[in-house]
Amino acid sequence: MSADITMPQLSDTMTEGTLVKWLKKEGDRINSGDMIAEIETDKAVMEMEVFDSGVVAALMIAEGDKAGVGSVLAVIATGSENPVDVKKKVSAAKSQPAGASPVSREEVAATRKPAATATSIAPNFARASTGEIREPDNVGHGATRQQAVAVPPLHHEGNGGDRLRVSPLARRIAEQRNIDLQSLTGSGPGGRIVRQDVLNIQPASRSASPPLPTAPAPVGNGQTQVIPLTKMRSAIAKSLQASKQNIPHFYETIDVDVEDVVKLRVKLNEILEPEKIRVSIGDFVSKAVASALLRHPALNATFNGSEVTRFGDVNLGIAVAVPDGLIVPVLRNIHLMGLKEIRQRSADLVDRARAQRLKQDEMTGGTFTVSNLGTYGIREFSAIINPPQVAILAVAAAEKRAVVRGEQIVARTMLSLTLSADHRIVDGATAADFLKTLKILLEQPGLMLV
Amino acid sequence: MPILQFREALRAAMTEEMERDENVFLMGEEVAQYNGAYKVSEGMLEKFGPRRVFDTPISEAGFSGLGVGAACCGLRPIIEFMSWSFTLVCLDQIVNNAANVRYMSGGQFKVPVVFRGGNGIAHQLGATHSHRMESVFARVPGLVVVAPSTPYDAKGLLKTSIRCDDPVIFLESEKMLAEKGEVPAEEYTLPIGVANVERTGADVTVVSYGRPLQRVVRPAVEHLHADHGIDVELIDLRTLRPLDVETIAKSVAKTNRCVIVDEDWGYCGMGSGILYKIQKRCFDDLDAPIEYVHSDEIPVPFSHNLEEAMLPSVDRIVSSVKEACYR
Repeated sequence: MSADITMPQLSDTMTEGTLVKWLKKEGDRINSGDMIAEIETDKAVMEMEVFDSGVVAALMIAEGDKAGVGSVLAVIATGSENPVDVKKKVSAAKSQPAGASPVSREEVAATRKPAATATSIAPNFARASTGEIREPDNVGHGATRQQAVAVPPLHHEGNGGDRLRVSPLARRIAEQRNIDLQSLTGSGPGGRIVRQDVLNIQPASRSASPPLPTAPAPVGNGQTQVIPLTKMRSAIAKSLQASKQNIPHFYETIDVDVEDVVKLRVKLNEILEPEKIRVSIGDFVSKAVASALLRHPALNATFNGSEVTRFGDVNLGIAVAVPDGLIVPVLRNIHLMGLKEIRQRSADLVDRARAQRLKQDEMTGGTFTVSNLGTYGIREFSAIINPPQVAILAVAAAEKRAVVRGEQIVARTMLSLTLSADHRIVDGATAADFLKTLKILLEQPGLMLV
Repeated sequence: MPILQFREALRAAMTEEMERDENVFLMGEEVAQYNGAYKVSEGMLEKFGPRRVFDTPISEAGFSGLGVGAACCGLRPIIEFMSWSFTLVCLDQIVNNAANVRYMSGGQFKVPVVFRGGNGIAHQLGATHSHRMESVFARVPGLVVVAPSTPYDAKGLLKTSIRCDDPVIFLESEKMLAEKGEVPAEEYTLPIGVANVERTGADVTVVSYGRPLQRVVRPAVEHLHADHGIDVELIDLRTLRPLDVETIAKSVAKTNRCVIVDEDWGYCGMGSGILYKIQKRCFDDLDAPIEYVHSDEIPVPFSHNLEEAMLPSVDRIVSSVKEACYR
């Protein structure tokens, strides 16, 4: 028997994908649950899991090639047949123009299902034995040895099954070098991050007391370095250029006294301590933005050049820095969420954005965007609008500043917010009204409950 | 340097020690008049006379107890078992008495006895005569377990074992007795509890001992180097108790990978115990799970082909090493 591995549909809108990297070579043994390849859709790179065990007989497309959903990417020899023969057979079939077409997705699915259901008790057995001392799978094992047919692993929603697999050594090296493991793709069995994966990347700086941001490898004196654009980088280049060229941006900045937010945050975090949740000032800003947008629908909108669409829901885009790029996952219906849920959901989105594990529909449908450089200590900045949205809010660092209250100069924790808006649709006063609301909500956070 | 057979190296060790210390004597089934079932003690009766080299009845439980008693009384017996498989009937003497007398007498008695003989799967001896007994004894506090893989190590370690004041389980193999190797003419001893890094390498640490080293591990290591470009650091444990964890840990800290090979059954086998100690000590150095290549968990078949098939092979070792190396 052989099994075809086909291009999966990784999102509702996906019609084709790019094969970024093969994680197995022809001739490699592969077990159900192993990752065979990395597939790239618009912005996300995802690992592709196989549900068959055997030997990789043929890789049908090259790294970097595109393939339509359902087309055959690889063939696995699952039985005792010689992988070389299987490869010959599929290569011959491939070179015939029509007629001998590869197995369709439905057929593959149909042949897989019975095997999976017939051994539905197998996974426990298989799991128990993999946790213990292993012998090579090709070892005969007398009368008691059975081929354990693993059922396709469940899609895990919680933390338990989705946890990162890292070899102890790789974990140690990552810790020493301050590398975020979430951002890595493991090349080991089952996607395990191993030493080589960690050594392959440059360390990233961490927010907790980093002495200096880690710089990328320096370019030597008198040398040049040519860097081809990644798919993500060229998408960013194109869309930001289009935005800045086509949209007449204007900017308004307001200073907000966040002393009360800071106090409330301390109190809330004490209460949330048992749940290990720590809300951030940024979460308060997101919450306030959602409330303010409901009152100023002119900014919770998209513009397609001829008409404006306003939204009754707030889907907040959150700009996330990833190695060499930027991703804007969308927190849907944030106006219905409390601070705790905002924290949990944005943390999840940010983590998965950094690991390039977002689903397609988690990166689309935003109605407004915030970009937060608070943790970098930036005092004030302006952001470029993320079209078709009509505005974006740049959130700087909350910091103690000397401000005048009455006749006194006092130290207050202040935060500067800068709104970039599309002047074709939004006027200065509209933007100012929105910022004023935002200021009031953040200076008297109790109003968000009203 | 003179080339000796494994059995000649053993004989030389016993002879030298018996010449050195008149309390040392040899007993066992057919060690005297027949010159030894495997000719290890050939000529020793003639040399030392029947007071110091003598035959026992076919009663392992009896003469192992005799040896423990003699050791308690100040002699230094060497007891030859025709096969370690036969010691299943004398576990009481070895595990209960030999291992515990020193402890239970508060150090008033010591038990300087050496039990030696062929261990493991020889060739077509069937299920009851092919036991690998190392894991049975290596887990017992109070015993020392030695398993040499070369004539040189055999001689040096047997001499140290005979001088050791604690009971020593000395594991040989019928299939290795004719193996030849360089053995210095001048006297030497080797320390117990020190493993030998017999080949240095950068990619993966392979740990083994005794017969599989000579039968499959060394050929596999050469094969891995020549055909797969994998540079193995090969460690011959030589002593199974006390285990030289230091040497292994130092190697794994360098290679980040480890494969253990023995001919025991896997579950609760010798390698399982070694594996536990390595993973405990080296956890943060490991880039891959430790692999363990062992015999299949079945009674040892009499049939030549089936016996071969149950044992670790060069192929199995190569495949496990590659797995540990993510190749």
